[in-house]
Amino acid sequence: MALSGMRGLSVFISDIRNCPNKEQERLRVDKELGNVRTRFKNEKGLTHYEKKKYVWKMLYIYMLGYDVDFGHMEAVSLISAPKYPEKQVGYIVTACLLNENHDFLRLAINAIRNDVIGRNETFQCLALTLVGNIGGREFAESLAPDVQKLLISSSCRPLVRKKAALCLLRLYRKNPDVVIVDGWSDRMAQLLDERDLGVLTSSMSLLVALVANNHNAYWICLPKCVKILERLSRNNDVPQEYTYYGIPSPWLQVKTMRALQYFPTIEDPNTRRSLFEVLQRILMGTDVVKNVNKNNASHAVLFEALALVMHLDAEKEMMSQCVALLGKFIAVREPNIRYLGLENMTRMLMVSDVQDIIKRHQAQIITSLKDPDISIRRRALDLLYGMCDVSNAKDIVEELLQYLSTADFTMREELSLKAAILAEKFAPDLSWYVDVILQLIDKAGDFVSDDIWFRVVQIVTNNEDLQPYAAVKAREYLDKPAIHETMVKVSAYILGEYSHLLAKRPGCNPQEIFSIIHEKLPTVSNSTIAILLSTYAKILMHTQPPDPQLQNQIWAIFHKYESCIDAEIQQRAVEYFTLSRKGAASVDIMAEMPKFPERQSALLKKAEDTEADTAEQSAIKLRAQQQTSNALVVTDQHPANGYPPVSQLGLVKVPSISTVDRNSEDQGVTQANGTLSVVDPQPLEPSVDVLGDLLGPLRIDGPPGAAAQSDHNLISGPEGATYVEETLALAPVGDQTNNVQPIGSIAERFQDLCLKDSGVLYEDPYIQIGIKAEWRAHHGLLLLFLGNKNTAPLVSVQALILPPSHLKIELSLVPETIPPRAQVQCPLEIINLGPSRDVAVLDFSYKFGTDVVNVKLRLPAVLNKFLQPISVSAEEFFPQWRSLSGPPLKLQDVVRGVRPMSLAEMANLFTIFPLTVSPGLDPNANNLVVSTTFYSERTRAMLCLVRIETDPADRTQLRMTVASGDPTLTFELKEFLKEQLVSIPTISQRPATAPPQVQPTTSPTALSDPGAMLAGLLH
Amino acid sequence: MIQGVVVMNDQGKPRLVKFYDYQPVERQQELIRSIYGVLCNRAENVSNFIRADSIFGPDTRLVYKTYATLYFVFIFDSSENELAMLDLMQVFVETLDKCFSNVCEVDIVFNFNKVHTILDEIVLGGQVLETSSSEVMKAVEEISKLEKASNSISLVPKSIPGWQTR
Repeated sequence: MALSGMRGLSVFISDIRNCPNKEQERLRVDKELGNVRTRFKNEKGLTHYEKKKYVWKMLYIYMLGYDVDFGHMEAVSLISAPKYPEKQVGYIVTACLLNENHDFLRLAINAIRNDVIGRNETFQCLALTLVGNIGGREFAESLAPDVQKLLISSSCRPLVRKKAALCLLRLYRKNPDVVIVDGWSDRMAQLLDERDLGVLTSSMSLLVALVANNHNAYWICLPKCVKILERLSRNNDVPQEYTYYGIPSPWLQVKTMRALQYFPTIEDPNTRRSLFEVLQRILMGTDVVKNVNKNNASHAVLFEALALVMHLDAEKEMMSQCVALLGKFIAVREPNIRYLGLENMTRMLMVSDVQDIIKRHQAQIITSLKDPDISIRRRALDLLYGMCDVSNAKDIVEELLQYLSTADFTMREELSLKAAILAEKFAPDLSWYVDVILQLIDKAGDFVSDDIWFRVVQIVTNNEDLQPYAAVKAREYLDKPAIHETMVKVSAYILGEYSHLLAKRPGCNPQEIFSIIHEKLPTVSNSTIAILLSTYAKILMHTQPPDPQLQNQIWAIFHKYESCIDAEIQQRAVEYFTLSRKGAASVDIMAEMPKFPERQSALLKKAEDTEADTAEQSAIKLRAQQQTSNALVVTDQHPANGYPPVSQLGLVKVPSISTVDRNSEDQGVTQANGTLSVVDPQPLEPSVDVLGDLLGPLRIDGPPGAAAQSDHNLISGPEGATYVEETLALAPVGDQTNNVQPIGSIAERFQDLCLKDSGVLYEDPYIQIGIKAEWRAHHGLLLLFLGNKNTAPLVSVQALILPPSHLKIELSLVPETIPPRAQVQCPLEIINLGPSRDVAVLDFSYKFGTDVVNVKLRLPAVLNKFLQPISVSAEEFFPQWRSLSGPPLKLQDVVRGVRPMSLAEMANLFTIFPLTVSPGLDPNANNLVVSTTFYSERTRAMLCLVRIETDPADRTQLRMTVASGDPTLTFELKEFLKEQLVSIPTISQRPATAPPQVQPTTSPTALSDPGAMLAGLLH
Repeated sequence: MIQGVVVMNDQGKPRLVKFYDYQPVERQQELIRSIYGVLCNRAENVSNFIRADSIFGPDTRLVYKTYATLYFVFIFDSSENELAMLDLMQVFVETLDKCFSNVCEVDIVFNFNKVHTILDEIVLGGQVLETSSSEVMKAVEEISKLEKASNSISLVPKSIPGWQTR
């Protein structure tokens, strides 16, 4: 008897099954392989039947995990056997054993092709299956036309045609050129009229592959897809065998909706309406029933419908309905539906406007963290991570922390990383952030990477207010009986730096701090001992007057480690010992660490990297991907703001190289080995902005509203001429022959942006260019947001920067294509080298359809962006003003044609620039005294002083005196202010920025009055 | 795309292995071991879905279902719908059931070649080929007839009673 139809095979299989252990199995397999090998070698006299039997044995052995390195030829040779059973074995086994690049496979191409073009349909099926499974490029080149013929042939049976469809799909993947789009899109559309659901399902898979690559060629298939969905959802003409548990072919419904998700949108209103009717019916008409299989099928369709609704950006009402459904799902008994409910809710986060509705389900989602199924717990964690923002961070992070103690081991690492990231991103206040991280280290120290504790140290260092709090907390944790080594590190570091801030508290005098830290030393590793030594050195330094007992204790420790085998520890011990004996001389070196230059959190970076790794294919995911990768672009540029990368936490501050040099006789050693990190003292005041304002995407407004549209029409009417002129005036270089008209005035937008840091730079019917800028001293980071407003991509996108000589501008890569309705962010880094009023120009071009648009736009990286307000007192002002005695450092000019405005308005304007108006410095109420700091690489920070004298009788003229320590700056600033006063941009719509009070001081004051002194100086 | 179909028993022994992207034999075994490692730790009454990123690379998932002593596993990427994969697995199992009337592990062991034939009628090149189990049956019966016609040895769909017990 033979189950498989082959007795020898059955005997072999039962022998294997009877093997008591792996060893025996291997022996039996080796014996069989030897046997087969001998038979194959002696091929003469081997019947097809025997060959077939041996080839099946080979496949069985292969499945068991043994390498079968011979017999491939025999398997392939069976393909050309005349009888069906042998041929079938040849095809099946070849498809399992060989890969597409195998030489033997190439040899068989002809035999396979003969079967494809032959008359025997069963042979055709075998050949198509093999090619569909393992066909490579060569198959694509030689077989694609034949396979296409079979697919569209009217005389072929559906059995053959459906295989041809999938075979063609494989060939297309191997070589996309085999499907010539021009002719094929019509054929594809015809295929969608197919009545046979088997052929239709395969064809739909083929369509999905084609539209995923190039949806533009297949628009004509879109309405057909909607028709198919209508037919299925109404159960029209669906044969019984394609009704699965009462659901008309769920696969075809799912595939069709998948195909629709590759089209960016549906423009035809009728098609759209029909589709939404179908979707609505699916969303409303699906219930959870008892039969598991029916549930699975109906929900497969339902979840796909949800994905499609999300993709189509349905109106808010429908979206809320979807969220409500998902909210229901995450609480049902069926684990599969709970799982998918959570997963889809996470996807839903990408849809704007529904986040708030999702937040309503927060409690249920948190409950899912305790689901018995780890798959579901992971989805819940993902969702909580995704939905977390400033408003709910506290709740969510605290839940995560709580869950950490009971979470599966396999999830803890991810959990602690996510909690740390959320705490950093969304901390409502920094002390909370410190609490979270310390708790995290306490509860899951093993899973807390160095990045996490480095970051908390950076943040504490950069925030003076936080330091005492952090020190108290660190001290508290040290009281716990057994703490994680990471906790020892972070506490020791913080207490070394800041324990002196706690000196008055009980248990916090230097001796006590030292003792409690030193208790931990015997249990920690070398890397921690090194940190502890630094802490001791710092404690010693902070103890003033010195405590001889403590000093001796610590010196003894240093002395002990001077002979430590670990070079790092040894070096620290030697250096600290020497330094601490120097007394006051060491204070400078051992002082608190300076603030860290602001940089991107390694943690957030890591998080983004992993997110960007998960490349996904479907349309929705493509969008999601764009979002993450954009964030990546922004933040990639963020730390490169011209700050030196400091990769490690240095513990000892070296004020500058020269200090070291001064003491180099005894300190030469300190420079060796880099133990002392030299932190470049940047003249920056990095405000710790953990979030990085720039991370928040700038909202680009949608297409212009009706009002704006009609305005635009008006303009392009009779006033069209002036409009064009204006554009031209703004394009100093080259000629613009654009058919596409900008929306709104480019000049006004530029003027606006000169005074604020975010807004729209340019807009036309296809694109909107937004800007968001951040300025710090002479550095600037400018983000361009290129938003495609259309449903077709913008191509040949080019952006060139024509920078003036005083600006160093680096533009990151601008993608050549902007996908439909996508927004691309391009960061620009700017360094101001010196004072100048020249303006950088962005030469921007793109193609939409046949329209080539080229615009030259001024970038608002103008002089006043490098100003920072500074208020000067009379005592500071007068000596400066006096020392800058005349040209070229101090220049005076009479400005005529000033746009009339009140003094308060003018003061307001200056404040926006930003210049600081110092009321009361000038005794004359009609005058203004203004000060500001200008930053550039050449001048560094430079104080500028300005005095404006106005004539109340004639507001169109004034006298202006500008002074600074740099002649170019003085001149440029004077000219800049003149330009601003003569053609004042509209500022009326700006929110009133607290108008400075220019108080009329009428009484003639004594000579001691600073104003009077000024008056004397000025005249 | 479906990347692979694996049937294994509750001891982790492979009973059917089919990958739609070529995997060398060592890698196949490694994959089977990793999948088994995950599956044997799953409780009852949990979902049928697992993210397989750590096993198969980014963006892969698997659905599995236990039928008596067997795990059926489909591995696929995000272009497929999870529940639809589960449905397809059900079609596969229902077809096997019709073929072997009440399929059990031993049927699959001794008829692994036939199981390959059936699977080839359901999945081709990692894509869903046929979803109607009666259509699949028709195709398989046709093949059986052809085999019979050229082969005097008959295809008995039912196993020997003595081999039924494991």
